[in-house]
Amino acid sequence: MKSSVKSLLVTAIAGAVFTAGYGTAWAQQSAAKDSVVVVATVGEPSTLDPVGVTADLVSIITQHVFETLYTFDKEWKVMPLLASGMPVLSADSKTFTIPLRSGVKFQDGTTMTADDVVASLTRWTQVSPRGKTTTSAIESITAKDANTVVIALKTPFAPLASLLAMNNGAAAIMPKSVIDGTNPLKALVGTGPYKILEHKPDQYIRLIRFDDYVSPQGAANGYGGQRVAKIKEIRFVPVPNATTRVEGMVAGQYQFADSLPAEMLPRLKDAKGVTPIVVKPFGFPLMIMNSRAGVMTNQGVRQAVLAALGPKDMLLAAFGDPGFFALEGSIYAPGTAFYDKDSAKNYNQNNPKKAGEMLKAAGYKGEPVRILTSTQYDFLYKMSLVAQAQLEQAGFKVDLQVLDWATLMQKRGEDKAWDAFFTYHTFVPEPSLITFINPAYPGWWDTPEKSAALTAFNTDMNPVSRKAKWVKLQELFYTQVPTIKVGEFYNLAASSDKLKGYVPMPWPFFWNAEIAN
Amino acid sequence: MFTYILRRLVGMVLVMLIVAAVIFVIARVIPGDPAAVMLGSAATPEDVAALRTRLGLDQPFLAQFLIYLGQIATFDLGESIFLARPVTQALAERAELTSFLTMMSVGIAVAIGVPIGIVSAVKRGRLVDQGTVALAMLAASVPSFWIGLTLIRYLAVDLHWFPVAGYGPPDASLAERLRHLVLPAIALGIPNSALILRFTRTSMLDVMNEDYVRTARAKGLPPLTVILKHALRNALIPILTIIGLTTAVMIAGAIVTETVFGLPGVGNLVVSAVLRRDYPVIQGALLVVSGLYVLINLAVDLLYAVVDPRVRY
Repeated sequence: MKSSVKSLLVTAIAGAVFTAGYGTAWAQQSAAKDSVVVVATVGEPSTLDPVGVTADLVSIITQHVFETLYTFDKEWKVMPLLASGMPVLSADSKTFTIPLRSGVKFQDGTTMTADDVVASLTRWTQVSPRGKTTTSAIESITAKDANTVVIALKTPFAPLASLLAMNNGAAAIMPKSVIDGTNPLKALVGTGPYKILEHKPDQYIRLIRFDDYVSPQGAANGYGGQRVAKIKEIRFVPVPNATTRVEGMVAGQYQFADSLPAEMLPRLKDAKGVTPIVVKPFGFPLMIMNSRAGVMTNQGVRQAVLAALGPKDMLLAAFGDPGFFALEGSIYAPGTAFYDKDSAKNYNQNNPKKAGEMLKAAGYKGEPVRILTSTQYDFLYKMSLVAQAQLEQAGFKVDLQVLDWATLMQKRGEDKAWDAFFTYHTFVPEPSLITFINPAYPGWWDTPEKSAALTAFNTDMNPVSRKAKWVKLQELFYTQVPTIKVGEFYNLAASSDKLKGYVPMPWPFFWNAEIAN
Repeated sequence: MFTYILRRLVGMVLVMLIVAAVIFVIARVIPGDPAAVMLGSAATPEDVAALRTRLGLDQPFLAQFLIYLGQIATFDLGESIFLARPVTQALAERAELTSFLTMMSVGIAVAIGVPIGIVSAVKRGRLVDQGTVALAMLAASVPSFWIGLTLIRYLAVDLHWFPVAGYGPPDASLAERLRHLVLPAIALGIPNSALILRFTRTSMLDVMNEDYVRTARAKGLPPLTVILKHALRNALIPILTIIGLTTAVMIAGAIVTETVFGLPGVGNLVVSAVLRRDYPVIQGALLVVSGLYVLINLAVDLLYAVVDPRVRY
C-alpha cells in the first residue's frame, strides 16, 4: 500500500510539473508565433474550389489563394484585379474586351495567359451557380492575344463585370493545366498572395505566403488595390462552438474569430487585447415562398403573409440586441447604390386584421401552409416561430416543419413539398447576384412582369437608368411578394489588438494586415 | 480459449455484415442530399441534379449497395464526398486523438469512480457515503458541455493553464497535443466517473457481506488488505463491464465534448458526415466504430477470466 501511495504522489507531482511547465512554454510559444494569424472559423469548408459553391466560408478562405479578373472596392464598385483595366465595351455593348495584367504568376510557377483565363471562365460558366446565369447571355469567350480576352454577348449584359468580381461561385483564374472540364480541379493553384500549404480536415487549413506574388498597383481599397502578404501564414481553424470561439479570442489563442453570438459582445468588450467588430452591411433573413406549386402560388395569399408579419418581433427574437439588426425593407441597405425606400412601403405592416381580410379575398380555405425551417441556424428557427404565431393570428393554418439543414436544402428543390422556407442571404454588391432573382432558384419567381423588368435591368449599361430599373424590380418584389425580406442583420467578429491593418468587410481577408509584436 | 475467441470473431463478421446493411439503409432513407449541402444555398435544383450524377448518387439503391458491399469485401471504405480523401485515411487521421482522449477520459473516470465507490461502500450509510452518492448524482446530471465551457472559462482563459481548444498547432509535440486533451478528458471523465462510482459501490456492497470477507476480517488481516485484495477483486467483474462499455461508447460518443473543444475526433467526423450526408464517411466510420465496440466487449469478456479464475472459456 505504501508503494501505491508513493506512486500516486509521484504521478500527481509529475502532472503538476507537466501542466505548469507547458503552461509557460505555451505562452512563450504563442508570443513567438507572431507571423501566424490563427483565424477561428465556424466549421470545415465543403471544398477549397471557389468556383462551384457560394458558401461564405469557402470564399473567406479561398479568396487568399485564388483571384478574379475584377473585385470590389470599399464602396462596392468594380475595380480591376487580374485585369489591367476595366472592360472595354463595344458600341453595341455586346463585346467585353478585357485587358490582362502581364507577368502574373500562378503558384505553380507558370505565368498567367489569356488561354488560362479563357479556360477558367469557360469552366465558371459550366460549374458556378453564378457563372451559369450568364450562359444565356454569353456567346463566346476567346483569347484575342496573350494578354487580352474577349467575351462576346448575345445581348448587352450589365451584371457581367460584377459577376466576374464576386469571390463566391467565383470566376477564379487558374492554370489551364489544372482544369479538367467540369470535374474537380487537378490541383488548387491560383494567383493569390497566399497558397495552400496543408489541409487537415476539421483541424486546420494552412495558407503560406506566395513569395512570387504579383500584386495589382494602387492604394488598397476594399478588396482591390495593392495586396501585400505581411503575415507569413494564415491558419484557419474550425471551431464550431461559438462560445469556444469567443473564449479562444479572450485567451489569445486566436487572432480573429468570425460569426460570434451577439449576446457575447459585453464579454468581448471587457476582454483585454480584443476588439469586437460589427460588420455592416452583412446579410438579410428571407422567407422564400413557393410561386410554382401549392397555396402560395396565389399572389393574394402571399400579400396576406406580408401584411401579417411583424419583422421587429421576428428580428428581436432572432438577434436580441437591437444593435445587431435593422428594420429595413429595401433589399439594399441605406448607403448602398441600390437603396430605395419608397418602393418598399409594404414592408413591416404587422397587421393581422388586414391580413385576415386579404386572405378571405384571396379565397384561402385553410389549407396548411408548410413552412420549412432549421435549428442549425438558430436565428432562422427563432424568427420562424414568431412568424408562425403571427400568421396563425391572421388566420393561416401553419405547418412548421423543423428539419436539419441538409434535409431542408434537399426538400426545397421539390416544388410540391413546401410552401415557404426560411433562409438568409449575405450582402452582395450587385442585385443580379441575389439568389431569389434567379428564376431557377427554389421559389421560382418567374412572372412575365418580373422577367421583363429583369431583362431591362440586366441589359441597361447606364448606372443611373439602371437604378430606376432596379426600383421597378423592387416594386414588383413588394407587389408580387415572391419572398419576404425580414430585415438587415449584422455580423459580430473579433480581432486581436495585435492584428494591425485589418479592414472589416463581409468576407474577412488578411493580406495587408500584420501582427504587431 | 482459442476456440472461444475464434467463435466470437466469426460471430463478429456476421454482426458486422448486418450492421453494414443497416447503416447503408438508414443513411439512404433519411432525407437530405450531400449534393445540395455541398453546392450551398445559391444552387438551383438543376445544379444539384448534375452533381448527384457526377457523384453516382443517382444510381439505383441496389446498385449502390452492391458497390458498397464490394468495397467492404476489399477493406475499402470508399472516398469521402466532402473531404476529398479515402474514408480510411480520414479515420486514421483521427485515430490518435480519439485513442488518447478515450484513454485519458476513461483513466480519469476510473481514477475518480473506483476509489470513491470503494470508500462509499465501506462507509455505507455514513455522511461520506451520502455525500459521494449525492456528488455522483450531480456529476451524472451535469451536461459535459457545461463542464467543458466552465473548465475553458476558468482553467484556460483565466489561469492560462491549458489551451482553450484544438489539438495543437501543426508542429506540436506529443506532450503538447496531450495537453490539449486534458480539459476535454476531464469534461468527459467526470460524468462517466459517476456511473463507475455507482457500479463500484453496488458491486462492493454485494461482496462485503460475503463469508470470505468476514473470514478475512476474523483472521485479523488489515482492513485495506481485506477491501482491496479480497473484496475488490471479487467485485471487479461488473466494474470491468461498465468500464468496457464506457470505453466503447466514448470512441464515437464524445461528440458534444469534441465540438465544444474543437477537436477533430471520430465523433466529430461522424456528426459532420451525418449533417452533410457524406454517405461513405457515415458508413465507414460507423462500421469501424461498431467493430471496435464488439472487440472491446470481447476483450472485457476475456478479462473476466483473468480477474476470476473460475471463469473458463
